[in-house]
Amino acid sequence: MEQKEWLLLELERVIQTSRDYKQKALLKSAKDLINEQVERIRQMEGELDGTLWSPRNWNE
Amino acid sequence: MKTLVIISHPDIMESGSQQYLLSSIPNDTNITVRHLESLYPDFKIDVPKEQALLKEHDRIIFQFPLYWYSSPALLKKWQDDVLTDGFAYGKKGKALTGKEFGLVLTIGVKKEEYQPGGREAFSIDELTKPYQALALKTKMIFLKSLPIFQFSYLTETQKMALLIRYQQYLTREKDDSLEAREKWFIQELQMTDLSKLNEGDQFILEQTVEFIEENRDTIDELKMLLDQMN
Repeated sequence: MEQKEWLLLELERVIQTSRDYKQKALLKSAKDLINEQVERIRQMEGELDGTLWSPRNWNE
Repeated sequence: MKTLVIISHPDIMESGSQQYLLSSIPNDTNITVRHLESLYPDFKIDVPKEQALLKEHDRIIFQFPLYWYSSPALLKKWQDDVLTDGFAYGKKGKALTGKEFGLVLTIGVKKEEYQPGGREAFSIDELTKPYQALALKTKMIFLKSLPIFQFSYLTETQKMALLIRYQQYLTREKDDSLEAREKWFIQELQMTDLSKLNEGDQFILEQTVEFIEENRDTIDELKMLLDQMN
């Protein structure tokens, strides 16, 4: 997730330097969206791991 | 999609929340904003004009401060005059069928009070039943409401989040899944005014769009794998 950390830092910098209030708001919410996506991926990977290691599937 | 925002507020110039929402509206030709008290200070509503506007738009929004669990008087009069038998309901009244209908409410009391045990006792969804019934009767699709509680107490960050939520309420398809929201953001990021950015920062915006798209691909792949396993 290094790319995410870099991008979020860069976005924060752009938010500070943007000269438009609505644009700042858009970029701030875009950061939240990215965090939500990354969290969703983490949860789904967890679910996949759990499914792979489930004893239910050991006898197959 | 064309959106009609019908605002009712007797003193809109003095309302911080209404002014903030007005300035949040995207510069989009598909959005029409009508402030009833400015248009009809004498309460004489131009019914044919209002009905024509309703017909032209796909999403109708009522935006008002909650006064005694309802709207200011002029919006109620507007409903009585404009949403007539033969236009909005009744045998021949199909003008609103299939349109979307939503409420943007500014509320002076905090959210927690709108529940059993709270000072207001009833939830906003319970109190807005007449509008839900209106949508049902006129065969419009009722959208989840956007209640704004105690605007003046919001932090700057919360206000900015509200600005985006409000813009989405006016312009995004009604589905509020993560995927639908991604699409909306990508579109907005691609349309944002680059002249307000420093030189070179366009690259960061492009990277942001790319990253959101890559994440979507990953989510879709994971979903496929999980579906196969279950």
